[in-house]
Amino acid sequence: MADTFLDPLPWLIILPLAWASLAFLVGEGRGGRLAVAGLAVQLALALILAVQVMAQGARVHAVGGWGASLGIDLLADGLSVAMLLLTQAVALPLAVYARAYFSEVAQTTFWPLAGFLLAALNALFLSADLFNLYVTLELLSLAAVGLVAMSGKPAQVDAALRYLLVSLTASGAYLMGVALIYGAYGTVSLAGLAPLVGADPPLITQLAAGLMLAGLLAKTALFPFHFWLPAAHGGAPAPVSALLSALVVKATFYMVLRLALGPFAALADDAAPLLGALGAAAILWGSWRALTTHHIKMLVAWSTVAQLGYLFLLFPLLEPGGAALRAGVMQAFAHGLAKAAMFAAAGVLMLSTGRDTLEGLAGVAGRVPVTLFAFALAGVTLMGLPPSGGFLAKWLLIEAALEQGQWGWVVVVIGGGLLAAAYVFKVLRQAFLLAPASAHFHRVPRAMEWSAFLLAAASVLIGLRATEGVALLGVEFGP
Amino acid sequence: MNAPARLAVVGFALALAGALATAVLDLPAAAVDLPAAVAENLSTSGVEHPVTAVLLNFRGYDTLLEIAVLLLALLGMLAVAKPEAVAPEPSAADPMLRFLASVAVPLMILAAGYLLWAGAHRPGGAFQAGAVLAAAAVLLHLAGRLPAWASPSRMLRLGLVGGFLIFLAVAAALLAQGALLRYPPAHAGALILLIEAGLTLSLGLILAGLFLVLARRPASPRAGVGEEGKS
Repeated sequence: MADTFLDPLPWLIILPLAWASLAFLVGEGRGGRLAVAGLAVQLALALILAVQVMAQGARVHAVGGWGASLGIDLLADGLSVAMLLLTQAVALPLAVYARAYFSEVAQTTFWPLAGFLLAALNALFLSADLFNLYVTLELLSLAAVGLVAMSGKPAQVDAALRYLLVSLTASGAYLMGVALIYGAYGTVSLAGLAPLVGADPPLITQLAAGLMLAGLLAKTALFPFHFWLPAAHGGAPAPVSALLSALVVKATFYMVLRLALGPFAALADDAAPLLGALGAAAILWGSWRALTTHHIKMLVAWSTVAQLGYLFLLFPLLEPGGAALRAGVMQAFAHGLAKAAMFAAAGVLMLSTGRDTLEGLAGVAGRVPVTLFAFALAGVTLMGLPPSGGFLAKWLLIEAALEQGQWGWVVVVIGGGLLAAAYVFKVLRQAFLLAPASAHFHRVPRAMEWSAFLLAAASVLIGLRATEGVALLGVEFGP
Repeated sequence: MNAPARLAVVGFALALAGALATAVLDLPAAAVDLPAAVAENLSTSGVEHPVTAVLLNFRGYDTLLEIAVLLLALLGMLAVAKPEAVAPEPSAADPMLRFLASVAVPLMILAAGYLLWAGAHRPGGAFQAGAVLAAAAVLLHLAGRLPAWASPSRMLRLGLVGGFLIFLAVAAALLAQGALLRYPPAHAGALILLIEAGLTLSLGLILAGLFLVLARRPASPRAGVGEEGKS
């Protein structure tokens, strides 16, 4: 009895739901403390779960004790635990950052929304049920839209509404797919569907999978569905941009991957070349736009469009036990940490200079050196220089491409890295210029500078802990 | 949008509709018979109506998250609503409307209570009861008896999240039974009634809030914002 009560798996969902609603209840002033305490416990729980899963193998938690297909199953395997670790590891430093960033009034809005967002992410990564995934996706999208709109500025409300419309349409497409699947097979459990769908699925399954894929790609903002992302991510307050770019878009990528590895494995091969091509287009177009923009947060947002492309390069290279899956998860991890660091650093730079353009950065190197170092370190990960996590991800991707003789992807990976170097150096170069005499700098809280630095350092250092990551990913569910 | 683009969109929509129709008309027989499984386990679910059993027991976890979705819709609106734009005092309404409200609202509260109770064995339950309560609150507002909500007080916030917190606390406490939301069959009925009672009040307030947060002077029926339908 004590065992099941202390199982970290359900608490990773209960805890954020609890602190989110309590933060709303207590109102002004105390939500931040609740959130930081809750997130610290969640990080510990995710680590415990990772150790347990590596020792004992994947674990199923049957909610209500019914079991699939009547009830809903939660599943913790290597892939989901890796994503859970990423979520808590990014969220905790960002919570410390957000406490310093927002005014007390803004925090009363921020913490409940952020709490529900993180609860939705944890629930999504643990779900093993198509319809339950839809519910977590709704929770995630609504929380994200609320966060984008929270500043109340007309431009932000506009971006949030556009995001909401894309998100709802995409959810609708996904839900229609789920309905078709339920109609065809009578179950929505991932484990139950896998043997039923089989190797040669009928037209209805193909249609359903297509609708679900389209919906998920729109939410992931994969090229050419990226149009809503720069305005929504680039204009939001820095902690919000960081949460959205580092975690929220990864959630729908995770779903595509989960479905391609699970029930729709037979169809994944057909979609793989298209996904790879869109990923390549995203890398080139996103990097180009990042290189040509003049606003610092827009640069970081376009860089997200590009980095998401790498995630989809893994699909044409996906094979059981191959390097591509490891590359994809490592990329999600490295980019998650690095992008959170970069948005956090960009927020500090903008507060310090009082401007949002690259031009305004001149002289900032002498004022907030820790933050600039954090930005550069995160840049190292995005470029893919050793020993960063980004380097490892790209290395594994190139290895998988060479093994299978698919040379084209190698060119895209290396070209994307060079473009990333170009836009990161563009920022750094500007920061090291002498400040004009008219420039006026503001003081920025230490907590913000150091939490950005912590995230950036983590994105570089995870490259050194890859063995554990590979062992964790090796934990698969199934016979 | 220019004509060729429109044609392309229409063509795509028609093709998708055609493909969907073809696929649905040729639906294979479902391999898993869930309605039968629901009927089989109904006796241990704590309620007699299959819909309530699925919503609160078999897939109660989905419902827990859906309540959070509704709560989030309101939180999102509170995030962008400008308190200063809300009329602080209810506007005076005509006497007919005031009379209607004073007659109808007590009946609506009674009806909500009945719907909540009926959910255990016939169509009804917390969502329906909450919707009736919300309608009563909107009627009171239109009749000038209830002010709009500029920024909810702590009591009101407690009412808004109370139902969700009760549901969450029950779900977590039942971990002692071996799993999230695993009701012991002997107490399932009572626990479900407790959850539904809390949800009725909170859902009523949340749904009313979707209207009252945005209400401006002069109160007009168009001030409500359409919410996406939830089961």
